[in-house]
Amino acid sequence: MGHISISNLSFQYAKNTTPALRNINLEIKDGDFILLSGPTGCGKTTLCRCITGLIPNFHMGFMEGQITVDGLNTLQNPVYEIAKKVGMVFQNPENQLIAMNVERELGFALENLGVPSEKIRAKIETIINQFQLNHLRMKAPYELSGGEQQRIAIASVLTLDPDILILDEPTSNLDPAAAEKMMHFLKELNSTYQKTIILIEHRLELVVPLINRMLIMDHGEIILDGPPEEVLLDEKILHINIGLPKMIQLYKDLKEAGLHFEKVPLTPTEFAQEIQRIKSI
Amino acid sequence: MIHCQNVWYSYDGINPVLQEINLKIMDGDFVGIMGENGAGKTTLVKLFNGLLKPAKGEIFINQKNIKTLSVAELSRIIGFVFQNSDHQIFSRTVAEEIGFILKNFKYDPSEIQVRIEEILKQFNLEQYKEQSPFLLSGGERKRVALASILCAHPEILILDEPTIGQDAIEKKKLIELLRELNRNGVTIIIITHDLEFTAEYIPRCILMSKGELIADGPTKYILTSEQCLKEASLVEPQLAHLSHILKFDKSLLSIEEMKTKILEYIGGAR
Amino acid sequence: MKDSVIHNLDPRTKLYFAVIITIISLCFNEIIPLTIIFLFLVPLFKIGKIFTQWLNTLKGLVFLAVFIIIIDTLFISFNLGVAMSIRLLVLISSFSLFFLTVHPDDFSQSLIQIKVPFSFAFALSLAIRFVPTLAQEAQNVREAQMVRGLELQKGNIIKKVRNFIPIIIPLIILSIQRALLIAESLESRGFGAVKQRTYLYPLKMKFKDFFIIGILTFFLVSIIILLLTGLLPDWLHFHLPF
Repeated sequence: MGHISISNLSFQYAKNTTPALRNINLEIKDGDFILLSGPTGCGKTTLCRCITGLIPNFHMGFMEGQITVDGLNTLQNPVYEIAKKVGMVFQNPENQLIAMNVERELGFALENLGVPSEKIRAKIETIINQFQLNHLRMKAPYELSGGEQQRIAIASVLTLDPDILILDEPTSNLDPAAAEKMMHFLKELNSTYQKTIILIEHRLELVVPLINRMLIMDHGEIILDGPPEEVLLDEKILHINIGLPKMIQLYKDLKEAGLHFEKVPLTPTEFAQEIQRIKSI
Repeated sequence: MIHCQNVWYSYDGINPVLQEINLKIMDGDFVGIMGENGAGKTTLVKLFNGLLKPAKGEIFINQKNIKTLSVAELSRIIGFVFQNSDHQIFSRTVAEEIGFILKNFKYDPSEIQVRIEEILKQFNLEQYKEQSPFLLSGGERKRVALASILCAHPEILILDEPTIGQDAIEKKKLIELLRELNRNGVTIIIITHDLEFTAEYIPRCILMSKGELIADGPTKYILTSEQCLKEASLVEPQLAHLSHILKFDKSLLSIEEMKTKILEYIGGAR
Repeated sequence: MKDSVIHNLDPRTKLYFAVIITIISLCFNEIIPLTIIFLFLVPLFKIGKIFTQWLNTLKGLVFLAVFIIIIDTLFISFNLGVAMSIRLLVLISSFSLFFLTVHPDDFSQSLIQIKVPFSFAFALSLAIRFVPTLAQEAQNVREAQMVRGLELQKGNIIKKVRNFIPIIIPLIILSIQRALLIAESLESRGFGAVKQRTYLYPLKMKFKDFFIIGILTFFLVSIIILLLTGLLPDWLHFHLPF
């Protein structure tokens, strides 16, 4: 359930001369909420495509190594079988909503699998109730806001009951309020519905307080893998072109100035708590 | 200078998308425009370069009423970089793509060549000069799009969401470029959702919500005002939030300043 | 989409209707029979509450109708011109009835259920779904090029055509990019997984549908028989002078 096992994975797109992934070894456990980040071109999206089976079934190239998703080998199973284990949501919801209204969108994946229509209708009702989508039921894609579109894209992938959800920069096109709502929604999916979540995102500060694990990639390799407090403070991260959250930068500066923190604060609230604690000593 | 006097705009003639906009952007300003989706940010900047005409009110650019000016005429002063570079790329070579605007503005062919060389150098695109722009990576295409507007040396530069999907290095390079342009007198207007980016790099901030201007002033005051942020459906940038909880003077926005303030607060370290 | 007796008929019935009317109108070259067919259609648009939209469609055809009359008058006869333009109105109207009263969702569903391959019907419904998106994109591209000095209004015809290239090319590239992204999303949602795909809201023919199909078939057969046996009344062959 929600377990991914990757061993010695390497991949090169057919049209490129350099490998996109180099010797990736990774175990993802049930219930993980993972932030996957790294500079543009580091291989984050490629890695996720491998997990869903889109590589090698949809994107051409040379693949070595093995990926097992909940016991299914991605090289030996068609994408639609893997889709029952891993759902993937892409950056722009506009290119994922293909139906004329939300109801039909939610039914699409199950229709593709040949599920009887009464069962499809029942599943749609369940999902609509779970995620409070009733007021959007008959709306067309262009009638939805960016945040609503993303929620529908996620919901439609969840109709297949995958235990794992991968999202590729889902908040790119959202304003800050909608982005925060999306993050809370994802946290709920992880804690209440026990979905394993892999989230690709550049803006670390948005995500860091919610996750239990952080993967940093660069040039096709996994450079860092661990809890956010450890990864963000690891020396190696300074050699990679990603922006550290302000709280971490401040933490490091103050630590250097001699302050003793009990824990690594990932949010302003936690930071303030630490400061107050230090002051009261 | 851009001067908006009581500007209103509506797409359908009934529901106002912009209401009572009164705004002055001076030469050399560096402004960020923020607000939720649908607040009217893009509509507002499209009024500046003539893509839209105000329903009510007047807009003056460099003291001239722009009511009668066409988009092509205004584009000589105002450069507009759209969010998606693929909305404009169509030429056979990168050089042609960049030179397009200069051709349309009827520059001398020799001048066009000079400017193309200049801008290719500035953006590190020399190696791609004769290549098809379609073969470049996403980030490179974005640079080509930006170069293709800047080669016309606009007085005012408007960028619509330039930081979406960019990593830290790309954002840093962008801001360095914009700062240099600003130092050379170019007025910069950026529409963005990126709070931390605005908080760190952009000196003046305009907040919009539901077609109205909610706030306009130095970023360090605007993005730390609870009321403004609430009305614009924004959250505080992290450092401002920390400042707020610790009850500091709320205009602190840089890490250096924060560090000093905290050490003071604690009563000195070591 | 409005609601009416016509709207509530199965789309396939309406498609059959359009086909039958087309065949019937092709059986006649004279003014009176074609006018009768046309007059028969008029009340249908009233019942379907789409009268105004239909009139708008006809308005769009006026130019073409006049053109047909002129050409036919010059080369054959005024009589034929009038007859052919009436036939044009009949053909367009019969399919109009289909498109104005069938919801886009049901449109592709109806094609699927008359055994059009799913990929084809789906491609059609995707096209419909993306029309607003493409329109917006075209506007964005226009604006992006206008701010680079592209003049779309001025210039002679050659210039105007040349000025379309900076608009068409990005649109094509964007559409191809979009198609690939959509395909990827479809693939990850099981598209093509199973030969026998199921449908959320399959269309079901009701008694009234079969009834109407029956009546239409009866009409067609009767008319063909009458034509073949030459038993049609004379006044149907009324000709205008010239």
